[in-house]
Amino acid sequence: MSPYLLIPALPLLGALALALGGRRLGERSHRVGILAVAGSFGLSVAALVEVARHGPISIPVYRLLDVGSLTVDVGLYVDQLAVLLLPLVTGVSFVVHVYSSRYMIGDPRYRRFFAVMGLFTFAMAMLVMSSNLLVTYMCWEVMGICSYLLISHWAGRLAAGRAATKAFLVNAVADVGLGFGVVLTFATYGTLDIQEILSKASSMDGQTLGFLGLEIQRNTLIVLCLLSGAIGKSAQVPMHVWLPFAMEAPTPVSALIHAATMVNAGPFLLVRMAPLLLLAPAAMIVIAVIGAITALYGALVSLTQSDIKKLLAYSTISQIGFMVFACGVGAFGAAVFHLLAHGFLKGFLFLSTGDALAATAAHGHGGRSVRGARLRSLALGALALACVPPLVLFTGPYERVWSAQQIPSAGVAFWAVGLATVFLTALYAFRGVVTLFGGSVGRSLRVRPRLSSIAHVPGLAVVAILVAAFLGGLWSLFSDFLGPGLPGGPPADVPSGLTPRLAWPLAAAVAGWGFAYYRHVRPASVPLTQRGWAKTAYVLLLNKLYFDEIHSALAVRPILRLSRWLWRDLDLRLIDRAVHGLATFVTSGAQWLARTAETALIERAPHVLASGLVSSSGWLWRTIDQRGTDEALERVGRLADETGEMLQVIGPRTLRDHLVIVVCWLALGIGLTYWLII
Amino acid sequence: MTSLLTDHLLSSLIAVPFLGIVAILLVRRQAWARWCALASTLVTFGLALWLWAGFDPATPGMQFVERAEWTPTINSQYAVGVDGISLVMVLLTALLAPLCVLASWSSIERRVKAFMSLVLLVEGSMMVVFTAMDLFLFFMLWEVTMIPMYFMIILWGGPDRIRAGIKFVIYSLTGSLLLLVGIIGLYLEANRSFDLQAIIATGIPSDAQNWIFAALFLGFAIKLPMIPFHSWLPDAHSEAPTAGSVILAGVLLKMGGYGFLRICLPALPEGSATFAPVILWLSIAGIVYGGCLALAQSDLKKLVAYSSISHMGFVTLGIFVFNGQGIQGAVMQMFAHGASTGAMFLAVGLLYDRTHSRMISDYGGLHSSMPRFVVLLSVFAIASFGLPGTGNFVGEFLVLVGTSYVSMLKVLLAMGGIVLAAAYMLWMLQRVALGQPRTPGGALLPDLGAREMLTLAPLVIVVFGVGLFPGVLTEVLELTVNGLVEQALAGMAGSPPS
Repeated sequence: MSPYLLIPALPLLGALALALGGRRLGERSHRVGILAVAGSFGLSVAALVEVARHGPISIPVYRLLDVGSLTVDVGLYVDQLAVLLLPLVTGVSFVVHVYSSRYMIGDPRYRRFFAVMGLFTFAMAMLVMSSNLLVTYMCWEVMGICSYLLISHWAGRLAAGRAATKAFLVNAVADVGLGFGVVLTFATYGTLDIQEILSKASSMDGQTLGFLGLEIQRNTLIVLCLLSGAIGKSAQVPMHVWLPFAMEAPTPVSALIHAATMVNAGPFLLVRMAPLLLLAPAAMIVIAVIGAITALYGALVSLTQSDIKKLLAYSTISQIGFMVFACGVGAFGAAVFHLLAHGFLKGFLFLSTGDALAATAAHGHGGRSVRGARLRSLALGALALACVPPLVLFTGPYERVWSAQQIPSAGVAFWAVGLATVFLTALYAFRGVVTLFGGSVGRSLRVRPRLSSIAHVPGLAVVAILVAAFLGGLWSLFSDFLGPGLPGGPPADVPSGLTPRLAWPLAAAVAGWGFAYYRHVRPASVPLTQRGWAKTAYVLLLNKLYFDEIHSALAVRPILRLSRWLWRDLDLRLIDRAVHGLATFVTSGAQWLARTAETALIERAPHVLASGLVSSSGWLWRTIDQRGTDEALERVGRLADETGEMLQVIGPRTLRDHLVIVVCWLALGIGLTYWLII
Repeated sequence: MTSLLTDHLLSSLIAVPFLGIVAILLVRRQAWARWCALASTLVTFGLALWLWAGFDPATPGMQFVERAEWTPTINSQYAVGVDGISLVMVLLTALLAPLCVLASWSSIERRVKAFMSLVLLVEGSMMVVFTAMDLFLFFMLWEVTMIPMYFMIILWGGPDRIRAGIKFVIYSLTGSLLLLVGIIGLYLEANRSFDLQAIIATGIPSDAQNWIFAALFLGFAIKLPMIPFHSWLPDAHSEAPTAGSVILAGVLLKMGGYGFLRICLPALPEGSATFAPVILWLSIAGIVYGGCLALAQSDLKKLVAYSSISHMGFVTLGIFVFNGQGIQGAVMQMFAHGASTGAMFLAVGLLYDRTHSRMISDYGGLHSSMPRFVVLLSVFAIASFGLPGTGNFVGEFLVLVGTSYVSMLKVLLAMGGIVLAAAYMLWMLQRVALGQPRTPGGALLPDLGAREMLTLAPLVIVVFGVGLFPGVLTEVLELTVNGLVEQALAGMAGSPPS
């Protein structure tokens, strides 16, 4: 029993206690949750220290499945990667728990809220530490259902229910890929243990699988399957549609699940399977392209959103897109660094937003009406920082990984995508902060610091640490620490420290800020009144390139229509009618037989037979029946009468009693046989 | 007494429900009839647990075997015994029966004694079906299960009960007629013996295997049901009273899958191999088609009924890939589906008791008036689409792993069925549990009482218990299934190349 087992176990036990512990806890439910998560946060930090000193720890738990050649052991594998993510998961979860204990006061489902949050923290911690791909998949799905339950927390709201269903179903479609990947991995490697798979990965290089008439590299297909899961859970184009809708959840949930932790599971999975990725260059290009498209798309859409939570959601989409892009070009270390920085930061931003929204609750969800000098300074610093982590990507010549695949202009694409994302991020971040906190709304709406703002302190501290550490060259420390956890890693000649190449992205970021400031000081006309492409682009982006409508038209409605057609026209009209038709056919056939065959043949034959029978039966009756059998029959008759009378005592002769008698006889018969055996 | 019980544990297990019927007939008041039924189902459940505890997973073959002369003229015996597969099915039957009695506690008001006797009759006869080692015994009790189901549907059923009942009987009769033909075929080919082990040992000639398999297949496929033989199921399930639906979906359907495993695979390996490609595609079609149909439903019970067709597709898929993982997955899926779908029907029944409506559109916003109910309904809904941590997931995953040896395309298509399952279940939840009540009375519905909680809560434990510790079932299945696979594969390998 290792104490680190308690990292996932404590939140789980807390959740169980809350779920089963009854209503007695009531308003004090948050204490259980906070205590549990605080415990696992402490242990996570301890694990960080231990792994830093002694290297990876692996903790077996129990054998989940043992069927033929398939064995699945639930176990924890705490390596450098896991141990970096654990403080993020448990730490943000702790802050969010503390924050929610105030934010959710008075909620009728207070206890349920903390129970599901605990379950989520368990699943995410378990996912990070899991040593088995199937267990990873299971946690992946459990996180999905927690997300579903929390999005629909305010169940009375129709939009909340719809958003929850949508979020889960989009993920379910994407997870078909992941689940298929798990099965395919087992079919390929004969094991689901992650470390074993990674160590065997190179032996499978070049093995192909015939699928749908194509010969595909097995490793490539597995990586694409994992990517499919990541696309769903991490809201990448084209499966990103659920994340903005998920903002129906209470804001602490958005902070924990839809910004800081769960949505990061995609890049995490890709980094976890990094050695496999490096063996599948074709799949890596797909990953990079999807990441790049998502990064740019999210940033562009962010420019047009006016709902603060949706703005943050698209910003999250964009940032995670960037992480996926980083994985695609082989910059796994940079992806993890970005993941951590973004996770802490976005969680913190959402909590600030929640505060601001709560303070202006009367003014709805719109983000244009909040002022607050205190929040402004916090948020400005935070948002500015959102652009900094991507810079890490430019510290190494990662574009060479692409160029190595002999794709012309791969390096150009790398630089273009990277710089454009940094520029756009700076632009929308500055614009968001300025419109949110620098608008010309009356002073009466100034946000006052509230008690729950105390939750900001850990967030602020983390931000401060990150800023300082980054400037002090944390990145090189970080990549040294993570290095052993990332077999494969970046090309050998990468200088891991700060390099002059950083000037380019910094310039792009400054240009973004400058442009945003220029537009803020000298506002151009409203985009809708402009002409030509500017208006078209604005309308397109405002409608998020119509992804929701496309999904609805291409997937949801056709499936529903097909289902209804199948049911009404195929099942009821065809199959069911065929059965009824068969019955009618048999009935009419029988009637025809009765009419023709019986009258013609069978009816006449009895006439002939009958005369013979009558005379012989007359003889039988006279000789045997009257003398011998009659007496016996009379005795049986008397017995039957008595039984009948007995039965009449039991109850009136209804259908039930007939049934009962049948049953009785059956029971008696079987009982008799039973006794005979004994 | 102790020695009687221990020596004849299996026969006692079978006898208790029948003795319960006698007890019900003897008591006068309806309340006592309920208690009698509950007591005998609970005793049966206790004996089933005892059987489980006494079962030795390290011994291959049948255990607790009891044999006695029954009808020597046709060389038929009373021969019962359990192996791993039987044991799982017996446990499932014994688990669901007390819950059926509890579910009918107050919802059945007329002819209580008869209803309870029918529940016990169907329980007892299913126990025999799942333990019989003699085909004649198997067939007879197979037939007997149909009779109580028919009466349950036509006497206590919904508005369209007569039509549904007759449809059920005609389908079942057709199926069992074909089954009888198949069984007689086996009897004749195996030197006039109904003893299953003797039949397997004799070996059926290759030329006879195909037609016998076809007859048995149709019999089992109607019961399971596979498309296109499924059209009795939605009507029967939705018109039957709650307990009837639970028994039908929970246990009766599994007789089909059990039949494939018990008779077709070991006795007719070549026939199985010949028909397997067709059956696999029918299974895939059933998974997707059943899922689509469930998506189109506006009636709660019909939705669950169509979802059963989809889930039973996984069972046949797992059986006919002929490997240990697939078959263990199929048995696991049968057990988990019995528990989760049984629970879905129980839950829908509780709702029906309150409003006498099965239409989804009559509900909405139950989360505020019936919070406990919504929690349980959500649990069973997510179990039924196979969320990891539930038994259904283990079953489906094992079946998919088994299928991966045969064809990756089929794995992918079957997974599409899981997405459909998530879609119809969550959409149903959204319309029933979330949002605002759509009828004025919707906000006033009372939440579950203690007895109702008692009906549903055990299944929560079962669903998650099997999902998190599938070892408890795979342990007893391992040797049995391995033996079965070896038998089937040896039979197929021994076939002359055609």
